[in-house]
Amino acid sequence: MLPLPTFSVLSPRSVADAVGMLTDHPEARLIAGGTDLLPSMKYGLFSPPALIRLGGVAALQDITTTEEGGLRIGSGATLRAVGRDPRVQRLYPALAAATRTVATSTIQAMGTLGGNLMLDTRCAWYNQSSFWRGALGGCLKCHSGPEGAICHVAPKGKGCYAAHSADTAPGLLLYGAEVELVSSRGARQVAVSALYGEDGRDWIRRAPDELLTAVILPPPPPGAVVHRKLRARASIDYPLLLTAAAFDPEGGPRVVVSAVGPRPILLSGLAEAFRDGGVEAVAEAGYKQVSPLSTHV
Amino acid sequence: MPTEPDADLVLTLRVNGDRKRLLIPANRTLLNLLRQDLGLTGSKHGCDVGDCGACTVLMNGAPRLSCVTLAADAEGAELLTVEGVSVGGALHPLQAAFHEQVAAQCGYCTPGFIMALKALFDERPDPSDEELNEVLGANICRCTGYTKILAAARQARERMNGRSA
Repeated sequence: MLPLPTFSVLSPRSVADAVGMLTDHPEARLIAGGTDLLPSMKYGLFSPPALIRLGGVAALQDITTTEEGGLRIGSGATLRAVGRDPRVQRLYPALAAATRTVATSTIQAMGTLGGNLMLDTRCAWYNQSSFWRGALGGCLKCHSGPEGAICHVAPKGKGCYAAHSADTAPGLLLYGAEVELVSSRGARQVAVSALYGEDGRDWIRRAPDELLTAVILPPPPPGAVVHRKLRARASIDYPLLLTAAAFDPEGGPRVVVSAVGPRPILLSGLAEAFRDGGVEAVAEAGYKQVSPLSTHV
Repeated sequence: MPTEPDADLVLTLRVNGDRKRLLIPANRTLLNLLRQDLGLTGSKHGCDVGDCGACTVLMNGAPRLSCVTLAADAEGAELLTVEGVSVGGALHPLQAAFHEQVAAQCGYCTPGFIMALKALFDERPDPSDEELNEVLGANICRCTGYTKILAAARQARERMNGRSA
């Protein structure tokens, strides 16, 4: 058995309560579905003194239509609820598809859209039990003392290459989605494309006192957007590669790839490549822009 | 006013129809609440990190991996475990089908499969093979190779819809 560390629990009923608790207890962690946080805590990756449970904040589960004709999806909406919402299916099919590739149907019924966007970056050397990691003295990301200051994937490098593995992020990025972050200092909106950092340790641009309350989608772009996930098995597995691709007859292809580094990557120069060499040239141009390392769990 | 976190908490919930009220440590998982505090050992302790599905229970009708659920999240909830699936001593059609099809070898994964499939049948009384397979993909069996589990799920579907199987 992998015991959970000791912690206390806070159970807010409103966003204001949750934000107040986060301000009062900046060292606490937020928990929604728990499907990423609790395994990591059982593995000893972190042991916060308190967890703030978001499950009791009903307002975070709302999915509403915006005045602009888009959608505002509460961060606490489960992946299942998002994937089944007829408006999501009609307007943002790549998002609906992405919710259905996360882990398993049971985990989709537990995990939330906000939780998926806040999924910690993952690595074969990081997502292991403390016993397992202890044999090698840890790594750059799991902070286990001076002997841990090495990356086992790229031992001569100074960066952490733990992979961004959130299935919903590439599609949301192509849809131009923003997230709402609320703290006692106020609310701000950040594009999903600007939410993530460049290093597997410093992968999220969220202040410690901020609560991700909603994902805000503008009206969908013209043309199709699709989501694809490559994984070893058809179920449960984290991605080996994530792609979301949009094709606008006017503007050409736009493609985001993820699970190949600490953040989703919007590929560049694809319109020219497509004009000159079609889909093959787009794939070639994309391949040159990513350099995945063996971080996969 | 700052709220102090609770290291212990009083939890009120219903388990298989019975009202329970317990004082538990805040770091209790739902699986340990069921197995240790309530003595309901039908839900199994498998991988402990949400990969295998052996601990699946229904919480307010939705499937839930109890090993990665805080007991605190079950406050006020209606829980169903494999112990509560049979009705009046008679096996649920899913249980009967698993029995008739010999869809278990070691049997450790069986309660999780029963609960995950029950969640599907409660919502979709006549699911497609694709829907059955999606649920089977949420649970790991390392003995049977899934063939007999799928046969049992199909038999339950046919019987529950009044067709011969």
